[in-house]
Amino acid sequence: MPADETTLVRRSRDGDLEAYNELVRCYQERIYATIYHMTANHEDANDLAQESFIKAFRALKSFRGGSSFYTWLYRIAVNKTINFLKQRKNRVQISLNDLDFNAEHDPDLVALISDRTPRREADLRELQEKLNAALLKLSEPHRLAVVLHDVQGLSHDEIAKVMNCNIGTVRSRLFYARQQLQGWLSDYLKPT
Amino acid sequence: MNENQPNFESLRRLLALKRHETPPPRYFDGFSSRVIARIRAGEAETPASLSNRLSDQVPWLLRFLHIFEGKPVFASAYAFALCLLLITGVIFAERPESTSQASWEPVSQTISSFTSATLPQPVNQMLMADNSTNPMFSFQSTAPSFGQISPGAQLVSYSLPGN
Repeated sequence: MPADETTLVRRSRDGDLEAYNELVRCYQERIYATIYHMTANHEDANDLAQESFIKAFRALKSFRGGSSFYTWLYRIAVNKTINFLKQRKNRVQISLNDLDFNAEHDPDLVALISDRTPRREADLRELQEKLNAALLKLSEPHRLAVVLHDVQGLSHDEIAKVMNCNIGTVRSRLFYARQQLQGWLSDYLKPT
Repeated sequence: MNENQPNFESLRRLLALKRHETPPPRYFDGFSSRVIARIRAGEAETPASLSNRLSDQVPWLLRFLHIFEGKPVFASAYAFALCLLLITGVIFAERPESTSQASWEPVSQTISSFTSATLPQPVNQMLMADNSTNPMFSFQSTAPSFGQISPGAQLVSYSLPGN
């Protein structure tokens, strides 16, 4: 844990909200993104991200520093999200964020887009919906593995700490989830 | 597994699309302030719904309830068991009534032997009519029809022993 972060955590634990504000600003985008990719709903992600930070603040006294603050915070957010998803199980509401301007120019995505139509934006939107629908079909642990690794870019080791399991489990979940996604999205994937 | 790894390349490129899904512009500008404001207001405790509080405080109960959510068969079995318990309860609730009646029988027999020995016949008849403790019922069974005066009630006089 960086020295600055250690200081901020210690000050936050003593009730310094200015210090905690700094910590929130440091991790807000990553925490929000993880929850958003798990729920596919902006409003839910907003609520859950805020509640995760609030819960983390209240639980700071129990944070011993055994893992990094970042891993510990992730674990709180992930547990909260999984509990929420279990409750809303049969009433999935998708509320997707817009794609940013760079999506159209991402070489990886451009390579995937078919040349059949010049309406590239429409294609991206369709891809986005199909991709999110497919992700929602995965079980929570499998979806989480894909989101943390392939979207958020966390290492297997970090994911194992967040998910509280061993690296082998992370790898097998990732492999299974990718296999499932590949099957469901085969129409949108170019053969390699 | 390694042989399959290259096959996921296009899937990973597709998943990159998720990184371009961004919240509305300037969304994060006020995010931390909102969190801090909620902490200051102590809002963290009050808005927590019952289910959230349960998941925090008694997670085993929520897991128990999730069993029903996932498998309706369990919910049906649980409801059936509850109905069975209710019906059994109703049946057993009626039983003590008959038991109490049976236990009152020796008492009523004692009373009847006592009254037959000590009270005059009309009073005795009135009291013991139908072996009931309901005074209305025993009175009606011995009383005459409307407008008539019971001759027995006028003629009889008695004194209880000890008076």
